[in-house]
Amino acid sequence: MTSQVSAIEVITHPQVAESSLTKSQLRRIYTMRQLRWSDNSAISVFVLPSRHNIHKRFAKERLQIFPYQLNRIWYKLTYSGLGVAPTIVASQEELIQAVNKTPGAIGYISDRVVTKIRRNKSTMSTLFPEMEDEQQFSSKGVVNVVKIKD
Amino acid sequence: MLSKLKTNTAVEIFCRVNILYCFITFISRTVVLAVILTAYYAGAIKAEDNKTYSNSQDFQFHGFISQGIIDVNGSDFVNDDGELSTELTEIGLNASYQLSDKFRLAGQVVYLDGGNRYEKGFRVDYALLDWSAYNSESWQTNIYLGRFKNNHWLYSSSRVIPFARPSIILPQSVYFDGFRDIAVGSDGAAVKISHSNDGLGNFDFTLSYGKSTVSNEQTDILLGDIAMGVAKQEYENHASVYWQPAFSPWRFGFSLLDSDFSYQKNEMFDFASDADFSFQFYTINAIYEGEYWEFSGEIYQQRFVTDGFYDPNFYKDSTGQGYYGQIRYKLTSDLTVLARYENFYLDKEDKDGYKLEQSTGGAVPYYFGFHKDITIGINYDITSDFSVRMEYHWVNGAGRLTPVVMPNTLINDSEDWRMWAVQLMYWF
Repeated sequence: MTSQVSAIEVITHPQVAESSLTKSQLRRIYTMRQLRWSDNSAISVFVLPSRHNIHKRFAKERLQIFPYQLNRIWYKLTYSGLGVAPTIVASQEELIQAVNKTPGAIGYISDRVVTKIRRNKSTMSTLFPEMEDEQQFSSKGVVNVVKIKD
Repeated sequence: MLSKLKTNTAVEIFCRVNILYCFITFISRTVVLAVILTAYYAGAIKAEDNKTYSNSQDFQFHGFISQGIIDVNGSDFVNDDGELSTELTEIGLNASYQLSDKFRLAGQVVYLDGGNRYEKGFRVDYALLDWSAYNSESWQTNIYLGRFKNNHWLYSSSRVIPFARPSIILPQSVYFDGFRDIAVGSDGAAVKISHSNDGLGNFDFTLSYGKSTVSNEQTDILLGDIAMGVAKQEYENHASVYWQPAFSPWRFGFSLLDSDFSYQKNEMFDFASDADFSFQFYTINAIYEGEYWEFSGEIYQQRFVTDGFYDPNFYKDSTGQGYYGQIRYKLTSDLTVLARYENFYLDKEDKDGYKLEQSTGGAVPYYFGFHKDITIGINYDITSDFSVRMEYHWVNGAGRLTPVVMPNTLINDSEDWRMWAVQLMYWF
């Protein structure tokens, strides 16, 4: 019984300049209080459904906020015209694809998915058929894995 | 006697047209539902075809639909006959389109049916141009032009959204349904400045200036059938500040509102005289959002000045006060229970309403001077976009029933009244 708990990785579009974010920055981005990267390009925020286990863990562990609080902030933006809420995608695979294809995108996935894709070229080619084999998953490849500092 | 006769005739006619009316309501709601679902699935299919995501945040389309049943005993809060009612319908559709880097268009149309609570039908909830005037890592300044939502009170921007507010019926002292269409938003301009500071936390400052159109039905709801003239909101100034300490479960806020109304009597025939009304409203609020527990409350004071209306020389300046405290507890991640107590009186010099009764020569009973409400409720999230809610209210007093200026003392003949409601909510 050595089922080690996976970590949640924050990923961005390859062209996003930031290689690390503070916990406060990450929280600002997901509560839609910071809408632009340091180069002034717009941030596109992607999330998993609110009941997804990885979303629940991301909210609590990375943002230190409860999923219901995030929903409230996003509902308020969406249904009272104040702003735009994150885009919800159904699965982690879909989230990687979305972040890869959207300039300025940010998302999160389980590090198991990162490892799986890095190791397995067939998974990689299923997700990104147009990708060249030699391209790396991270560091200016498919997506960036962003370091989160305290 | 004459008014009693009038009421009886009205009830009779109402019964006859009721079946036809229900049929028409049912058909129209089905059509609206069909349109929403078609639009939704068309959107979903389009998204399926075009998985580029690049425009996902540039154009957004969302909505909600909810239907409930509500039963009020002892007041005309929802209907005059006290029967079980389906007048608890809320439907909304909104879209947001990013025009350019700095400009965005957004709008929402809602259909509401709440019986006597507010005017039945469609209305534009908001329709605005959002100018993102200044943006940095820790500052955001947005200017909203057009019809914007009241974003100043704890639940003022979410009162329209069934699943985002805490209960089916909100505390009526602040979120008075009879005043809904005027308080829910304004036509004008608003500026919102948000600042996020790593050490001090989050600050939100909102300032708005505008006015709302007062419809004929809204005039009747507020002033009563005897008002034949035209009511107008001259202006509304509204400001609020919210502060959430860094990584804190607490948030604190306060708001100030100043608004003037005028009434121009019908020159042909009117029971009422020309009038000016002035309304000021101040609130302070706090909310705690924990993993299982949630506490929230607002304390407020209002000043209402009436100059004219009942007679050209009439003048009244009264200060009302109130508060509510609310507890929510998550039994499981999907099941939340709620308890709330609310206490409000229209005149702080006359908390038990006896001066009101005296000054009207007994025409308006004392219990129209206050409103107290004990509420318990339960909410179950069936899925992440489908919920059911149920609640029970024990109300003491008739201070938040319509019409306001000329109360209906015939139907509202008891100091205590009760209501329960069940509501199903779906959103996308």
